[in-house]
Amino acid sequence: MAAAESPSAALRRRDLCSRGIRLAGKMRADVVDLLDAYVEQQGLDASASVAAVEGVPLAAVERWDEQTGTQRLLENLAAYRAFRALLAQMLEEQREQLGEADTGLGRALAAVLLQVSAFAYHLEELLRLESRGIPGEEGDEEEEEDGPPPPPRLSLFEQKLRGLGVLRELAQWAVRSVRDLRQLAKPSPATGAAPGLAESS
Amino acid sequence: ETHTQYERVGADVTMKCGSMDWDAAVTWTANGTDIDESHLNGSYLILKNVDLSQSGQYSCYEGSSWHLKYQTNLRVGTPPKEPVLMCRSNNYPKGFYCSWHLPTPTYIPNSFNISVIHGTKDMVCEKDAVPKNRCHIRYLQLFSTVKYKVTLTVTNPLGKNFTTLTFDEFAIVKPDPPESVVAKPVPNNPRRLEVSWQNPSSWPDPESFPLKFFLRYRPLILDQWQHVELSDGTSHTITDAYAGKEYIIQVAAKDNDIGTWSDWSVAVHATPWTEEPKHLTTEAQITETTSASTSSFMAPPTTKICDKGAMVGSGAMAVCWTAGLVVAAYSVLFI
Repeated sequence: MAAAESPSAALRRRDLCSRGIRLAGKMRADVVDLLDAYVEQQGLDASASVAAVEGVPLAAVERWDEQTGTQRLLENLAAYRAFRALLAQMLEEQREQLGEADTGLGRALAAVLLQVSAFAYHLEELLRLESRGIPGEEGDEEEEEDGPPPPPRLSLFEQKLRGLGVLRELAQWAVRSVRDLRQLAKPSPATGAAPGLAESS
Repeated sequence: ETHTQYERVGADVTMKCGSMDWDAAVTWTANGTDIDESHLNGSYLILKNVDLSQSGQYSCYEGSSWHLKYQTNLRVGTPPKEPVLMCRSNNYPKGFYCSWHLPTPTYIPNSFNISVIHGTKDMVCEKDAVPKNRCHIRYLQLFSTVKYKVTLTVTNPLGKNFTTLTFDEFAIVKPDPPESVVAKPVPNNPRRLEVSWQNPSSWPDPESFPLKFFLRYRPLILDQWQHVELSDGTSHTITDAYAGKEYIIQVAAKDNDIGTWSDWSVAVHATPWTEEPKHLTTEAQITETTSASTSSFMAPPTTKICDKGAMVGSGAMAVCWTAGLVVAAYSVLFI
């Protein structure tokens, strides 16, 4: 049964959504610039098709318009948490390749990583508003049991292609997030709650 | 039994009279007109280096009995050249359409087959009834990085050809131009014009997928456009219009986040508000009557109603005949 949302909660949600939209918009612009710099610096072909790499969250979704608000938030959060880890790994690989030299590409990667972290936090805020528990991150489990075996080390070229795949999907996700937040910000006509955020019983 | 025969432009064509022997006496006609015997080799009809005008019905009659022995519809044409294919999404995120045409006509019937592949998945492009050379596809997935590959094959009895387009979901997004563009003067504001428009009706969900707009305007007398980009709203007030000058105004639209700009909308014209010069009108009338009654045969210096060649008279009294007529007419009125 749908719970009616208080006016202040509705306002806070709309405010968080518009700020989130701006964050995602800026993030996307920076990712697109980073992608261009990455392709150039790594000597890659911009039009190269990159097969879906394990661990990179795909932005592609079926029946996007039918998703509930909760689904949108949870999928976005899972994606950006994964990107946070992937970008940190890319930054690490960059440093290994080029030593501690402070490169433009390194700085741009770090800046995007910061925005991705900030956006993940922003999504957690939206979930909190919904009085939803925030799912734990997968990394927490490793301390208690034997973790999975470390993934095989990629060649330099494979690392570069993977990086291309990561950035491309991140750019798509940034667009999807803007669309998702716009859906979330829509006031629901009947109950006053956001469409999809109210749980059906 | 009538056959149909397709031949290329420039080909040499030999028609046999059905099962008649080579040495049988026959008469051939083209669209009912007898064909001269010089085109015959025995009972075979030989047409060398055929052109489009030779398309038509060819009939062969047995010499003495005039029995119809064979009939064929000759269609002269060409195999298809590489077709021109275009795909576009003007109704994102619902789907996209592809449309095509041949760069040159073939003059014979063509059939088109289109295939759309997304990654490993085959998609069905549903043909539109109108226009004919167009089909549409619904998006099954959104936000995919996997490219779409569209292949169009055109086939006719003389050959086939094809073309392929590969594109991203975002790249082909191009809305239709804004609709109902209206430009109005603003009362008591000689330098303003109020412009308003509507989202294109083909764009399904402007609330979730808002459009941004680009306005361009210029006075008719100048070539250079002024541009304004607007990230929201469907109206804008121009505040730097030249007073009294007629303006031409157009608007284009683009999805806020992806794709390309639409074509420009239909152009609208508007002139900023100007004050009615009531007192000036009265003065002008007085000036006209005064000059008429003094019977001056001099045309007013500011008017340019005559060429030098149309002058009559000489010296100070020289006046062109048209001006003379006008002044004479006024004089008659006020006598």
